[in-house]
Amino acid sequence: MFLIKATKRFICAWRRPDEMVHEVETELRFHIEMRTRANIEKGMRSDDAQRAALQSFGDFERVRDNCCEIRRSLPFDSTLLRMGLHITMAVVAGLAALWAVNVPHHNFTGVMRQLMAITVLTYLFIVVRRARSKRRHNGEHVNGVLANKSLTSDMSDAPSAKIPAYDEQGRTPVERVFKS
Amino acid sequence: MLALDCLGGCPLPKSNASLLQGTLDMLILKALSLGALHGYGVGQRIAQISGDALKVEEGSLYPGLYRLEQRGLIESEWDVSENNQRAKFYKLTRAGRKQLIIEEQNWERLASATIKALRAM
Repeated sequence: MFLIKATKRFICAWRRPDEMVHEVETELRFHIEMRTRANIEKGMRSDDAQRAALQSFGDFERVRDNCCEIRRSLPFDSTLLRMGLHITMAVVAGLAALWAVNVPHHNFTGVMRQLMAITVLTYLFIVVRRARSKRRHNGEHVNGVLANKSLTSDMSDAPSAKIPAYDEQGRTPVERVFKS
Repeated sequence: MLALDCLGGCPLPKSNASLLQGTLDMLILKALSLGALHGYGVGQRIAQISGDALKVEEGSLYPGLYRLEQRGLIESEWDVSENNQRAKFYKLTRAGRKQLIIEEQNWERLASATIKALRAM
């Protein structure tokens, strides 16, 4: 039941991102309004109360983006799903290849079918390559990061350090370590 | 995260506060175990049940709530608040109730072990 609900939420978040952002904003604004009221009840002036409420809330946009990011993430470990997707793609590619080989190509339709199969194969090849390079670039998969994040409730992201492949003297990072 | 204030009003050092990072989820679950609440109410209840010793940084409360909802430990629905405004109310799920019991047991074990270690001479 939970998975159905969560998946529905996930799909809604991707299909109607504006609606999701609006929903999150409404919730956060409600919080700020409640805090403002509480401040006014404590004897603060309306402007001061609102300013104090915003201040105590912190970075509104960051919180909103954080919430939206969580909402857009899959509610379960997507490793199996991705594996299934890759297997399906491989099967489709294999079938397309078989089809392309077996289709007679002495007539126009046959050639067109072969071209279609080649297009499908090329497309799949590009998709796989892109996914791989993206994963290599990130260093870890997206859900892994989210899973780690879920262990703590810290909002601060670790600063990402970029290490250049070569320094000004043309040395690699490993060479720099060993030669310094 | 969690801003800690002792009863005298003197804030604890930041290093101490960071020890409590993993406990926000547990506190949210605990607050919701007493009934459905909106986000603002959760923060208020945490402060209330801790005798104003624990104050959740308001901004960090919401990602915590969203994460718990994503894990199926709490669920939400839009309703009308006490001042007739539309608000999102959260409540514990059965999985959340179980998780709270586990977290409470873990926390108690950790706390008693730490006290034991500190008292050892």
